[in-house]
Amino acid sequence: MSRAPVDSAVRTRVRRFVDDHGLAVGVAGTAVVLLLVLYVPVGVVFAEAFGVDGRLSLARFAAVLTDEFYVGALAGVLDSPFAFGEHAAAVAGFFAGFGVRTATFGPVPYPAPVLPSVETGLFGFTAWQALLSTIASVVVGLPAAYVLATFEFRGRRTLRSVTILPFVLPGILVAAGFYAAFGESGLLNDVLGVVGLHQSLLETNPLFVVILAHAFYNAPLVARVTTGAWESVDARMVETARSLGADRRRAFRDVVVPQLLPAVMASALLTFVFTFMTFPIVLALGGLQLATVEVWVFTAASNLDVPTAATLAVLETAISLGLTYAYLRYEAGRSGLGSAGGDVDREPLLPDLANLDAKRLGVLAYGAFAGVLFLAPLVALVAESLTNGSGFTLQHYAFLLDRQTTGAAFQTKPLDAILNSLAFAAGTLAVAVPMGVVVAVVSSTAGRGRTLVDALAMLPVAVSGIVFGVGLLTGLVFGIDLPGPYTLKVTGPVAVVAAHAVAAYPFVVRNVKPQLAAVDQSLVESARALGATRVRALLDVQLPLVWPGVLAGAAFAFAISMGEFDSTVILATQSSTATMPVAVERYLGRTLGPAMAMGSVLLAVTAVSFVAVDRLGGYVGEVGR
Amino acid sequence: MRRRRFLQATGSAGALGLAGCLVQDDGNESTDTTISETTTGTDATGTTSETTTTAEPDLEGTITVATYESFLNAPSESYDAPGAFVKQRFEEEYPDATVEFTVPSNGLNEYIQRRQQGASVDADVYVGLNVDDLVRIDENLGDRRLFQALDTDRMERASHVRDDLDFGDPKGRALAYDTGYISLVYDERDVDAPAMLDALTTEPYAGKLLAQTAQGTDTGQAFLLWTIAEKGPDGYLDYWEQLLENDVRILGSWWDSYSAYLDDQRPMVVSYSTDQVYANRDDQNMQKHQVAFPNDEGYANPEGMGLVQGTEETDLAYAFMDFVLRGEVQRTIALANVQFPAVADEHVDLPSEFSDYAHRPENPVSLGYDQLKGNLSGWIDEWSRLVASN
Repeated sequence: MSRAPVDSAVRTRVRRFVDDHGLAVGVAGTAVVLLLVLYVPVGVVFAEAFGVDGRLSLARFAAVLTDEFYVGALAGVLDSPFAFGEHAAAVAGFFAGFGVRTATFGPVPYPAPVLPSVETGLFGFTAWQALLSTIASVVVGLPAAYVLATFEFRGRRTLRSVTILPFVLPGILVAAGFYAAFGESGLLNDVLGVVGLHQSLLETNPLFVVILAHAFYNAPLVARVTTGAWESVDARMVETARSLGADRRRAFRDVVVPQLLPAVMASALLTFVFTFMTFPIVLALGGLQLATVEVWVFTAASNLDVPTAATLAVLETAISLGLTYAYLRYEAGRSGLGSAGGDVDREPLLPDLANLDAKRLGVLAYGAFAGVLFLAPLVALVAESLTNGSGFTLQHYAFLLDRQTTGAAFQTKPLDAILNSLAFAAGTLAVAVPMGVVVAVVSSTAGRGRTLVDALAMLPVAVSGIVFGVGLLTGLVFGIDLPGPYTLKVTGPVAVVAAHAVAAYPFVVRNVKPQLAAVDQSLVESARALGATRVRALLDVQLPLVWPGVLAGAAFAFAISMGEFDSTVILATQSSTATMPVAVERYLGRTLGPAMAMGSVLLAVTAVSFVAVDRLGGYVGEVGR
Repeated sequence: MRRRRFLQATGSAGALGLAGCLVQDDGNESTDTTISETTTGTDATGTTSETTTTAEPDLEGTITVATYESFLNAPSESYDAPGAFVKQRFEEEYPDATVEFTVPSNGLNEYIQRRQQGASVDADVYVGLNVDDLVRIDENLGDRRLFQALDTDRMERASHVRDDLDFGDPKGRALAYDTGYISLVYDERDVDAPAMLDALTTEPYAGKLLAQTAQGTDTGQAFLLWTIAEKGPDGYLDYWEQLLENDVRILGSWWDSYSAYLDDQRPMVVSYSTDQVYANRDDQNMQKHQVAFPNDEGYANPEGMGLVQGTEETDLAYAFMDFVLRGEVQRTIALANVQFPAVADEHVDLPSEFSDYAHRPENPVSLGYDQLKGNLSGWIDEWSRLVASN
């Protein structure tokens, strides 16, 4: 490519500016966005928890922590803090509330979690289902990462791209998909009915189905983050270990596992925090009997009891951030292991049928299981969009077309929703990836207190979505009075992108940071010694080495934006700014068809976008190297 | 009830006579509709021709109607949401007026919070008020007003609204425009209609019923209030304890539970008594769409409209609300929302595909403003704690 001299002069100037001030600008920009769209709105709501009659008070927290309904057997602990003997019994009672029994699905045994008794309270139950959901997500997600990272097969890259597809689905679609797939007259029962197995899992074991649904959402997260890390594992180190006499298994345990562990733990943490805050899925599939803390936050908020909502949300956030902090301390202790970079040598999954060893049979069995768990709800969803009471029909798609062509100005039009979704997602990508990289760099280089900074950077994930919504509404939409004649008000597309970016950037951080820490510091130091600025070293040395992580983070940023519903509705007040998930919600009626048709469009558009983001990102990464 | 009696008293023979004739016009034949259009058209011309009598209403300008999403965006092949029709017809009648719809992102709560914080409420009329909304407004706003008292004299057709749909609001802020009855919908192939609410706690109904949470869903709350009306504030929790023992499942929204019902998860669901209208339209098996009224009751859930305090378009707003009560609009709303019209039967003409399949309970039950005030959130809280700890 030949460049005009003027062009190259501008390039040089831009390059110099980026070299000199890039990081500072990034930090400042990140801080402004976070302050405006996160800290101020959430702070406004949280402040309500700490005040009674205008005075600073912890009374609301005391009330919650001594209420058996919330904390079960632990309620007495705060009531009389020094009765240690009693507390031991109370704590024992609290934990005795949990357990797993063996249930059977036909002749097939499966582990069924015990629905805890009153002893555990709302917080206890919430933590319990989050723990189980996390375990389920890791158990389901890790094999997928293993398969994607170590085997070569047709469609692997596409499959890898679309693994996070479930992530974007509105809860209402997932619930409907689960009913259609695993319900009484769902797909699974139709198939199993042929062999005389017929059982409604939802009826006999709703908690188990809720946990499956959480795995449906979060196992892809585990798989995605771990695959990213796996692909950065230095193949040379494995070879070195092998050449030093380690057998395959040993090399895996001593070389690969330590490099994967941070990614697995990070995704497990995200899953726990996510499912700790779960709200629509439990109510849709399990019902109020399986209510979580977030359900109470929602109720309090919709009764305009903001102080109660805030108090519960502060406690939720404290628990989530506490866990995050603990995890980050662990992560910090492990950094510097190995070096990122290098390519994984993949073996063909199916060289020929004669070569089916135990490992490959296991992979195929897993594939069958994952196919049922992930494909059944999606297939059911698409099937629902193509049928009515009497059989195959295209009428639901005809409805979408009709709404597009003849809909009134105040109605939500499908094509507009698609374009808005894509535009917001592109904007989110452009904002969240730099934000995430900046936070990852700053938090891995800052001195003391960096763990704290890093934990605080996770706030968007740890804060209740409902409280975030209330904060955006009462803060940004209504406006906050500033000193003087000014009012701070932010709405419209810019605010939507900012809110999406704030929700998304922690995923970039969690994908990039562990890998960044694994980059050999001597490489960076050499670059610096040769005259590269901090930014140049980051762009030219570190980022290319951790590109799979950046890409995985970018895919998440894109996915979060595509699937986001609550803050979009609040900030994009006009129907012309509705996104695809918003359209799905608006097309819900007595029949599922139109909403499912829009849901299928959402699936298709997102799937294509993911592949595009991945391919394009992979291409950029190649060029970068 | 006070407002209702007042209405009846002031509904003079002249107004009633005119109204009666208008209904015939609105509801039935197109020729008659023309007559009514001409009448109203003359009114509008009178306004614009600036003959200055102060009594002349100002019917010019833009009126912002705040409502809920499904008033504008109901997806159906046969009936679109009423919003488009309402806007188009109203603007035809009042050529100098424009209707703009707005959907507050958090429903009425958004306006309550706006009032609390002194932010502007940019709407003139609110369509979609429930009794509990009025209670919540008063509990949160105290003396500050969100809606103003309606001067029903300014609406010709206010007297058409059925007496049993009164909100019981001492401030007279809401006028019903449609109503639903919460009842049980069941699959007669699997279960019989329960004659009494009490039957639901007995063995034949063990593990049969799907309900919704009373925290934030209309149907769930209505069902809870029905049991409170039946068992009293002191007895309803015992009743629910028995229901829970009988394995009632309480899901998150009407939609959650209804899709579980459609999926054959359970053979009985708390839903609307108009269910068969949909079943008929969608050619569903009627056996799966039977409506039961235990104790011959159903809980009435009227939806009302109100005038936003401080609106500058009062005349237009009254004209709009009156317009909503016209026979043809009532008919459209009923068919599109699949809810009952608010006006008495003689003022609206519904096609047989609706009236044959929409069932009304013999004894509608509902708790009015006075009974809900100060109690509602406490009842729901007690109830939800009971359910969540079970």
